[in-house]
Amino acid sequence: MNFTLSTLIQQIINGLSLGSVYALIAVGYSLVYSILLFSNFAHGGFLVVGGYACYFLLTQWGFNTAVSMAGALAASGLTAVLTERLAYKPIRERTSITLYLLIASMGVNIVIENLFVITVGGRIRALPQSTFPTGVFELGGGVTVSASDILSLVVAAIFLVLLQLFLTRTRWGLAIRAAACDLRTAGLMGVNVTFLIGLVFFVAGLLAAVGGIFLSVRYSLYPQLGSITTKAFIAAVIGGLGSLPGAVLGSLILGLAEMLTAGFVSSQMRDLVVYSLLVLILLVRPAGFFGRTASEKI
Amino acid sequence: MKKSLFINAGIIALSLGLALCPLGGYQEGIVILLCINCVAAMGVSILTGFTGIFTLGHAAYMALGAYTTAILTVRYGVHWFPALLAGGLIAILVAWLIGVPTLRLTGDYYAIASIGLGEAIRLILENWQSFTRGARGFPGIDPYTTRGSSVAVFAVLTILMFNLLDSRLGRELRASRDDGVAASLLGFNTPRSRMKALLLSAFYCGIAGGLLGGYMCFIQPSMFDMMKSTELTAVVVFGGLGSMTGTLLGSAAITLIMEYFRDISQYRMLIYGLLLVAIMVFRPEGLLGNREIWDFLPRFAKGRRS
Amino acid sequence: MRKFVLCIACIALLAVPALAADTIKVGQLAAVTGDFAAYGTAEWEAVKIAVEEINKAGGVLGKQLELIMYDCRTRQEDTVNAARRLVEQDRVTAVIGPNGSGLCIAAAPIFNRGRVPNIGTLPTNPQVTVDESGRVRPYNFRICFLDPYQGAIMAQFSAQDLKAKKAALLYDVSSDYSQGQREFFIRNFERFGGKIVADEGFRGEDVDFRSQLTNMKNSGADVFIYPFMGKSLPLAVKQARELGIATPIVGGDGYGDFMWEIAGDALGDTYWVSHVDRYDPTLAGFFESYQAHTGTECKEFLNGVLAYDCVYWLKDAIERAGSDDPEKVRDALEKTSGLKLMHCVLTMDENHDPKDKDGVILRCDPKQQKALFLTKLRPE
Repeated sequence: MNFTLSTLIQQIINGLSLGSVYALIAVGYSLVYSILLFSNFAHGGFLVVGGYACYFLLTQWGFNTAVSMAGALAASGLTAVLTERLAYKPIRERTSITLYLLIASMGVNIVIENLFVITVGGRIRALPQSTFPTGVFELGGGVTVSASDILSLVVAAIFLVLLQLFLTRTRWGLAIRAAACDLRTAGLMGVNVTFLIGLVFFVAGLLAAVGGIFLSVRYSLYPQLGSITTKAFIAAVIGGLGSLPGAVLGSLILGLAEMLTAGFVSSQMRDLVVYSLLVLILLVRPAGFFGRTASEKI
Repeated sequence: MKKSLFINAGIIALSLGLALCPLGGYQEGIVILLCINCVAAMGVSILTGFTGIFTLGHAAYMALGAYTTAILTVRYGVHWFPALLAGGLIAILVAWLIGVPTLRLTGDYYAIASIGLGEAIRLILENWQSFTRGARGFPGIDPYTTRGSSVAVFAVLTILMFNLLDSRLGRELRASRDDGVAASLLGFNTPRSRMKALLLSAFYCGIAGGLLGGYMCFIQPSMFDMMKSTELTAVVVFGGLGSMTGTLLGSAAITLIMEYFRDISQYRMLIYGLLLVAIMVFRPEGLLGNREIWDFLPRFAKGRRS
Repeated sequence: MRKFVLCIACIALLAVPALAADTIKVGQLAAVTGDFAAYGTAEWEAVKIAVEEINKAGGVLGKQLELIMYDCRTRQEDTVNAARRLVEQDRVTAVIGPNGSGLCIAAAPIFNRGRVPNIGTLPTNPQVTVDESGRVRPYNFRICFLDPYQGAIMAQFSAQDLKAKKAALLYDVSSDYSQGQREFFIRNFERFGGKIVADEGFRGEDVDFRSQLTNMKNSGADVFIYPFMGKSLPLAVKQARELGIATPIVGGDGYGDFMWEIAGDALGDTYWVSHVDRYDPTLAGFFESYQAHTGTECKEFLNGVLAYDCVYWLKDAIERAGSDDPEKVRDALEKTSGLKLMHCVLTMDENHDPKDKDGVILRCDPKQQKALFLTKLRPE
């Protein structure tokens, strides 16, 4: 269509910027999957909790940006831990079919979404414009990058590096990685599994909150905001569920695929490409790019 | 022999009851909806409950059935009944095309792939504007789904389903679900029986979709989204995996509960979500577990519990 | 003694239907959950306010109005079920809402079979009141103007007032509303000698439009046309400005004050077709009572105003019919002529659509963070 170099560069920037938001969310999915082997669809709900917590701390109680963000992180983290304790733990203790967890997590997502619809209403909100830097930078040739693009890329990178450090340099990180290999053996080796799972959910909740704040800055805040996580989930699957680098790579691929399809093929084919990519990856390489292969799991 | 007679008589009695009892127009609508939901749930149940394959994309087969029936009746003036069957057949055809490569996937991966496939089918219907009118929906479908027609279709499909479950196919499915290796050692062709279950379930969902089109007089791709697919699977889990009567009970219960709570509109979806979680937490084996209603009656339970 | 009991029983039997018939039941369908919950909630609140006002002032024909609202979740399936329930179980006199064209079209057969009039609040698609074969749906009415009208106004304003020659469209493929306006905009804009240089689609739940906007930017258009609604609107405005696009933007009646919170100053140089002027002094009273009732501002003001006026229109029709019988009310609705409502003077045309309603163009003013009245238009 309009194939010029500057358009291509612009679409690649758009794709990377979208991918970085997906990455923050996809990592949360993968983290939970690596331990419990189920896809936690309530992740979208945690994200909404984070977004609203930040919004209300900023606008209703007048805290500054840093405190509000910390509060939002804590709120999402606690919601995640609470969900695990109240909903997932009893199921895990009764059955080993992970699909039950998956359906329960969809239920939790619906509950959280509608709790917000009932309590704060379905109205679309936005974090105050002054909270985060806005502005546009010209890169020449008509190519632009917005401040929020750069910010989300940087923050996503910071949090992903922090997560990596936590997993590789701390005792609990080691325990999580051990549990990801084999939860039961890790338990036998003296790891407090209940606490560990709680910790994993807390960390996943933190990441969801960061994603939630970002999405509210870029795309506004509403109870159904969590539905965007379906795409992040697909990114996690493409990269290989349970693999953190895979989640990041999958997210960037998905972001680029979406933007390039919309830009150069047809904007209506965008989601079709996403879902076809998902099915194709599952058929060719079910475990994704970085996932452990199916045979290793049995 | 006696048992199947008992079942068939029971289904016919239930259907006659549904078809003949005096009801207001609104209650009649609920009966139609019950029949449609039960047919779709039976379809998902044969796949999920009896072969252990979880799906989160079966709403797409409903969409295929609904669109085929609608386009045939509205554009080509075909009578609704052959059109409905054609809807079921198209669903079977697509399920076969999809099943050949994807049924190899196991566990979560089939479920995830089914999300992708379901959404892809829905998006194709949505993008194929010249044929389906796209996302705007397809209006002007004749209201051929009356209480009589929906109850009749429900009765026929239910009798068919119970007799299939009692046949060699039913045993084959159960055997391959419970222990795939043992089943194949016994001479059952496990992949083939999985495929049969998928095709059967696609047919039931296609028919249910076709009926839904006739009830709503209007269909739209967004009616058949992932939410609808989840609902179908949740209903089956609620009823009890591996229990067809449980599926029917579960489907009826959820349909009625959701209808009952229409008054407290804002809380409906909240209740639905809580229900999903509560079922999984408190009764993951579902209402009836993997037993049928008559297994609870002492007369028929003999010899089964040994 | 026996006689006495019998007497009491007879009285009770007579009294029950008398008591039950003491109110006039008005149904409402609104999406108060789901993606467009904000619009539906505003309608619900507005209708509640109007019903309360009418009841305080003595009701209609000496009877109180009783409002029965069901949620339709912006889903056809739920709308049809809820419509059935209103018509067949609650036996309402008339039904107000829903606001979406797709929802109204889906529910139309129920109302026409059940012979209960339905007043759409904001369904702008022609097929809401006229079916696909061109017959008027006898029981469907609406208070708003139509997509052809709106598309024509957008085209006329872009071509004549903004002097645009090349237009780039962004539309929602999953919405009847958006596709209808797009179609009529293209037809009319070409009639004015304009050219469509980009035609990009997106799907309802999308939140990122930058790849489409990049294409539109490169098309060299001198106006962007946004015929859609909901949160996509401010997001598409904001993202366009972030991509360094300063082209004026013209949109349909999806504008709402909530957009300022999201897009802020990016709304500068945007123009919106509307049914009413938000700051028209005749509407001030309504906005005050909305604020008093709900504690929040009526940001989806269009939905609020039109839903509110629907109740008064219905009241007028019931009074003219002299009865709450749905069929008589239908006849009265059809004959509505020169009725003075809060936001307009309403006359029905032969298609059950309002006749000669003016379109209003609003211009966003970033200094006041408001959409101000710019001009009134009627398509040529």
